[in-house]
Amino acid sequence: MSDAVQPGDDGARPSGEGREPRIDGRRLRSERTRRLIIEAYIALVRETGHMPTAAQIAERAGYSVRSIFERFPDLTALRVAVTDYSIAEARATGALRDLDGDRLTRIRSQVSQRGSGCERWLPLWRVLSSDLSEAPDLQQRIGMIRQLIVMRMEMMFRPELSLVSDAVRKKTMLALESLLDFESWARMRELYGLSFEEACSVWVKAIDRLLPQTPA
Amino acid sequence: MLRLGEGDRSPAAADAGLNVAMSTTATVVDGRRLRSERTRQLIIEAYLSLLRDSTQVPTSAQIAERAGYSVRSVFERFPDLMSLRIAATDHAFAQGTASAQLRDLDGDRETRIRSQVETRARTCETWLPMWRALTANQGDSDELKSRVRLARELILRRLELMYQPELSTLAEPMRRYTLIALEALTDFESWGRMRENYGLTIGEASEVWIRTIDRLLPATSAA
Repeated sequence: MSDAVQPGDDGARPSGEGREPRIDGRRLRSERTRRLIIEAYIALVRETGHMPTAAQIAERAGYSVRSIFERFPDLTALRVAVTDYSIAEARATGALRDLDGDRLTRIRSQVSQRGSGCERWLPLWRVLSSDLSEAPDLQQRIGMIRQLIVMRMEMMFRPELSLVSDAVRKKTMLALESLLDFESWARMRELYGLSFEEACSVWVKAIDRLLPQTPA
Repeated sequence: MLRLGEGDRSPAAADAGLNVAMSTTATVVDGRRLRSERTRQLIIEAYLSLLRDSTQVPTSAQIAERAGYSVRSVFERFPDLMSLRIAATDHAFAQGTASAQLRDLDGDRETRIRSQVETRARTCETWLPMWRALTANQGDSDELKSRVRLARELILRRLELMYQPELSTLAEPMRRYTLIALEALTDFESWGRMRENYGLTIGEASEVWIRTIDRLLPATSAA
């Protein structure tokens, strides 16, 4: 999309004026169709918890099945695009907060954001991360999401992690990653019937016990 | 095989013949039943072994080939693949429970933590592929779902028993919260990540759990 309109092009090639806007318009429409297909996929997963079929996606998006396969060679390619879209959205809405807060403020901030993220993305996470064996692109992105989650925790708990040995830091991070996993959240909410606040309390108290002491 | 009322034989002999015939029939029936049971067992083991080799859910053709039977044999014993999954899950639970007896319940804190981690690590190491297949497919069957729930209840119950001296010092809801956190920290996928994503050895991964549990548990009750 970035090469659709180049600065300085206006008026430079009068003979092409009539063609450029039409091409841009077509490209914009195509991009909009692509986005609507991705959003239809996400909406269906949130509603059903299952991987949608091409027919379901097409119906929800208001296009034909053929339109989907004109933009995505197969459903795995669509899954990859959905993952990229979701990563971008999650990053845009999950900015780091309270980095300079005290220990409890940072723990609460991290838990509240992660809890909200799990609430919002759990169904999609389940669908996207299942059956990755024949989708290396998807596997790589799932790995990237995990890395982003870990990096975020490292930043939030830097004061506590900075003064301990590498071995202790690594063990602490492994424990935190397991604790704050999507499925850990899902069990609290779905299996143990905890409210959002109760589930956050479980995580807050556990993180507080697992983290090393905060330097003075 | 047996014709009752044969005139050339005394009642006693006829009775004896009846007994022999019945016994032969029983042997034939039992032998057939045993073979059928053995085939069933081999099909279940083939399914589990395929799960260990690949993350893909095995097809009936693959299961039949691995077990050394025809696809028809598979479906003679299991009406569909879901029934086979359920039977394999029950088999895994029975095996897992048998090899995970509670040990060191009266040990000190460190002994109990090490004992629990050792048993749990062995279970995860052996049954992770099966667990993944089970949790991935549970949405397709209430029976599978109930087994996942039961397995989680057993894991929680075990944690409660092993760390009773520590958990008993906590009031509700902290006791429950701690238990839930312990369950999350020692989940199958927690083990899977350490072994597969981070390449930790069994010993290293166990050390992570030991340290984590020790930090999470409150002080041990003096009683």
